[in-house]
Order: sequence, then C-alpha cells, then structure tokens
Amino acid sequence: MSAAATVRGIVVRDLIRTTRQRSRLIAGLARPFIWVFLVGAGFNSIARLEGGLTYQAFAYPGGMVMAALFGGMLTAISTVYDREFGMLRLMLASPSGVPSVLAGRALSATIIGGAQGGIVLACASLAVHLTFQQYALSAAALVLIALTSGTLGLLVAARLTSVENFGGVINMVLFPLLFVSGALYPTAGMPAPLRALARVNPVTYMVDLVRHTFGQPAEFALSLDVAALAAAATVAFGVTVVLFDPEQRFVGKKPAAANR
Amino acid sequence: MTAAGGAPARGAATLAIEAEGLGRDYGSTRALDALDLSVPAGSLIGLVGPNGAGKTTAMLLLATLLAPTRGTARVFSHDVARDRAGVRRRLGLVFQEPSVDGLLTVEENLRFAGSLAGLAGAAAHGAIQQTLTRTGLGSRARQPARQLSGGWRRLADIARATLHQPDLLILDEPTVGLDPEHRDRMWSLLDAERRDRGATILFSTHYLSEAEPADRVVMLARGAVVADESPATLRAALGEQVAEIDGPGADALVGELRRVGLVLLAHRAERGWRVGLSGSRERITELAATAPGIARLAIRPPTLEDVYFARTQAPVTP
Repeated sequence: MSAAATVRGIVVRDLIRTTRQRSRLIAGLARPFIWVFLVGAGFNSIARLEGGLTYQAFAYPGGMVMAALFGGMLTAISTVYDREFGMLRLMLASPSGVPSVLAGRALSATIIGGAQGGIVLACASLAVHLTFQQYALSAAALVLIALTSGTLGLLVAARLTSVENFGGVINMVLFPLLFVSGALYPTAGMPAPLRALARVNPVTYMVDLVRHTFGQPAEFALSLDVAALAAAATVAFGVTVVLFDPEQRFVGKKPAAANR
Repeated sequence: MTAAGGAPARGAATLAIEAEGLGRDYGSTRALDALDLSVPAGSLIGLVGPNGAGKTTAMLLLATLLAPTRGTARVFSHDVARDRAGVRRRLGLVFQEPSVDGLLTVEENLRFAGSLAGLAGAAAHGAIQQTLTRTGLGSRARQPARQLSGGWRRLADIARATLHQPDLLILDEPTVGLDPEHRDRMWSLLDAERRDRGATILFSTHYLSEAEPADRVVMLARGAVVADESPATLRAALGEQVAEIDGPGADALVGELRRVGLVLLAHRAERGWRVGLSGSRERITELAATAPGIARLAIRPPTLEDVYFARTQAPVTP
C-alpha cells in the first residue's frame, strides 16, 4: 500500500507541475508541428520518398515520437531538478524507497510523454489519413514509446548532478537520438557509420513502430520493434536502479530555495 | 503514527534512538567519528556544534538517508541499516532548506507528503485538514508555495513533516533565516507535538538559546561527541560564573586565576578570554583590579554559548 501511495503521489505531483509549466508544455507540443509543417513544407518539394509519401506524411510518425520522447525524457530528467532543489531526498525518505520513487517517475513520464504524443496523434489528419484501427494501434504504440523514453530519461538522470547540464542533455542526447533514428529522413540514405548507430538507437525502433501502425513502409518487423523497445525500457530501468545513488549530494551542498 | 512493524510501543522505558559508535566517512574524510547516543522517547534533544562537526551527517544516518561506515543505530528498535522502511515509518524529517514544491499549493504539498507516508483517501484528507488548522496554514492552503514568505514556507515544511504524526522528528537547523515571530510559532508547534502526542524531537541549531529548553544538549566537534548533558548540568560544569577578559594583560590575569585554582574551564575567543570560575565574584574582581592591561572584564552567569566555546574549541593555556 505504501509503495502504491508513493507512486501515485509522485505521478499526481508531476502532472500538476506539468500543467503549471505552460510555456514548457506549449514548446514541447510546438516542436513536432514546426518540424512537420514548417520544415516539412519546404522538404515536400525536394524529397522523393518510398511509396510516394509526401515528406510531411513521412515525418509525421517522427513528429509524434519527438513529442513523446521529449515529454517522457524531460519529465524523467526532472529528477535532477528534484535532486538539486531538495525534493528528491524527501521522496527517498519514504518507507517504500528508491524503487517506488523511480517507478513513480517512470509512470508519470509515460503518462506525460504519451499525452503529448497523443495530442500530435490526434492531429494526424492534417498530414496523413488514418483509419480508426490505425489510431488505436498508434495510441497503444505510444504507451510503449513513452515508457521507453521515460526510462531512458531516468538513466540519464541517474548520474546527472546539476541542472546546469540540462541544456547539454537536450543538445547532446535528445537531438542526436532523434536525428539518428529515421524520424526525419530514412536511415537507408545515411552513411554506414550513422546507419550502424541507428540500429542500436531505441528511437529508431520507436519511429519504425509508428510507421507500422500508420501503414507506412517500415524497416524492421513489428515484433522486433516491440521487443527492442521492451528490452530497452527494461534494461534502462534496471541499470538506473543499479546506478542510482540515493546518497548523492545530500551532504556538501545546500539545496536552493524551492521557489521554482 | 502508532508503533508498527513489531517494534515496541511507546512508553516510559522506550528508547527512541540508540546509537553506538555510529560513524561515516566520505572517501578519506571522517565526517562523523563515533556517535554514542541514547534518547528516551518523548525527549527534546538539541544537537549543536560548529559547521562541519558532523551534525547533518549524524541526522542523515539516523534518518537512513546515509549508510553508516561503522557502528550501529536503532530508531524505536528498527536498525537504520537493515530496516530502513521500519525507521522511516516512525520518522518526520525537516531539512536545512524547506522541502516544499513551489509550483504546488500548500494543500497539494501536504497531499504529496501524505502519499509518501502511505496516507490515502479519507485518512489523508483528515490529516491534511487537521494539520492546516493546527499550523495556522488554513488560509494559505490554496496558495502556491512559492508565493509564501520564508517563514510560512518553513511552517509548511513543519506541517509536511508532522502530517503523518511521526514518533520521531529530526530537524536540521529548522529556524535558520526565520524572524522571531515565525521562530516562536514553529517552536510552539513542536512543543505541541511533544505535549499532545509524546513525539521525540532531535534538532540541530546554531542558536544556542534554542537549545536551553532541551532535555539534553549533545555537542559535536570534529566528528565526535564532546558533551551530552542537560543544559543546567553543562552550565554548572563551567562554574558559578564566567568572566570575559580582554586586553593586553588578559593572558597574565587568566594565568593568575588558574594559579590560585579558580579556573574550571577557559577558552580564548576572538574577543578575549571566557573563563569559567569557581570562586566568589569579589575574589575575582579583587584579583582583576590589581592586574594591569585589562581593557574589559565582565562577570556573569554561564550560558550555553560559554559551554559551546569551552567544549568545542581546542583548549589554550596562557
């Protein structure tokens, strides 16, 4: 009961915080639409894609993954803020301890990432035609995509000690994951080293999974996408539990005031 | 919260804290050498000492947020290393900086704290309403915490820590930065926790006047306990009075007082000597009157601050 209450408390807190950080929420949602409709409008005229897809239709799965990935990972990485501002030790002092705290944060990242991806999915008719079944399958895929994003975010946050590194994480982790994934251009056209990187990039399988649910040409089998994402989420969560140092920064630096 | 997890119920003979040789190193730095502490349930214990003495480390060890490098400790018979969940169920924590989320309202912060303590549904609602009333935060319940003044934010922090009615409250410098009004309000709330529920309170402070009402004052210096007595006993060990002596002839006068056997404890502070004396006031004044180069001589009853200087600083012989 204690663990469930802790998980629920963390999820509710994260949802409240997300709805009150409107500029961050709007920016997170605007990012995929800017790519698909502003950048994509230019690419439409020069891109020649398999199956006669427009570039905007091709990029839409990537845009949806982008929303879920950023929403899920950034929610999970907010653990660094909690560590910096003293809220993490409060959570770690709960009787249910580290696993519940990480599970709660992974769940809230899944919900927030899934919801942001879901909003992009709900607007899919602006660029692609989907059947009801394709919407439903895409929504199911989003759950796995957001969960994997959240656990990857937790892994990044496990040893990140300062919010000053936050911008660096976005530039050095999130964007490379997205660019080397087939979200914005087909991996088939990438140089061999980048293509090899794409093969081990979980985001590649997120995008490929959505291409399946959208009925677009995909690179891998559906089962491989699902298995790869489930494995990535499991490994990321497991490694986070091992790497997570509950004593980190409790002594030696006073947290700043909580007027965030 | 009631006794849980098979631990003995609260009672006169129950020990809230038992620590034996509890210590912690950070790499090659020995933050806490060996803490021996026995705290009966319902006590008010003040932990004082210079910065870096090991107070925060001791509190985090007892709160199970740090693992001990050596020694053992139990909180209501729950081992801090082997039964962390058992300890945490009995514990309310207040850190040096308020742990309230500025984006959440006061009530939402309490709801969050309740969920971390395992409270849900009607039990959580009842505890929150009762806590809001008890702490005077009712009118601020819907206010985002970041809009509160530092004093009210600290009270919200106390409300958070006491929401689940813990048997042991550990407070690390809870009054830092508070004005006298909020400090008084905070101590009033903590007094009520002891009086009404029999809660045990372990707090650290740099304001030694706050340690005066404590049942015992534990002084730490350089990672070790250097005193552990009631404030009255600690003061009595300094003598009947303390002389503050400053000026070029201060060393000679202290030497003379020591020679005639009046000095119990002496410490040289930045503003001269503080000397605990056993003789009569007249005798001391008489000796001082004949000593040259004394710019200032004040004789007064001993305070905890005198004890602090005498016990936590290295002794100096004139």
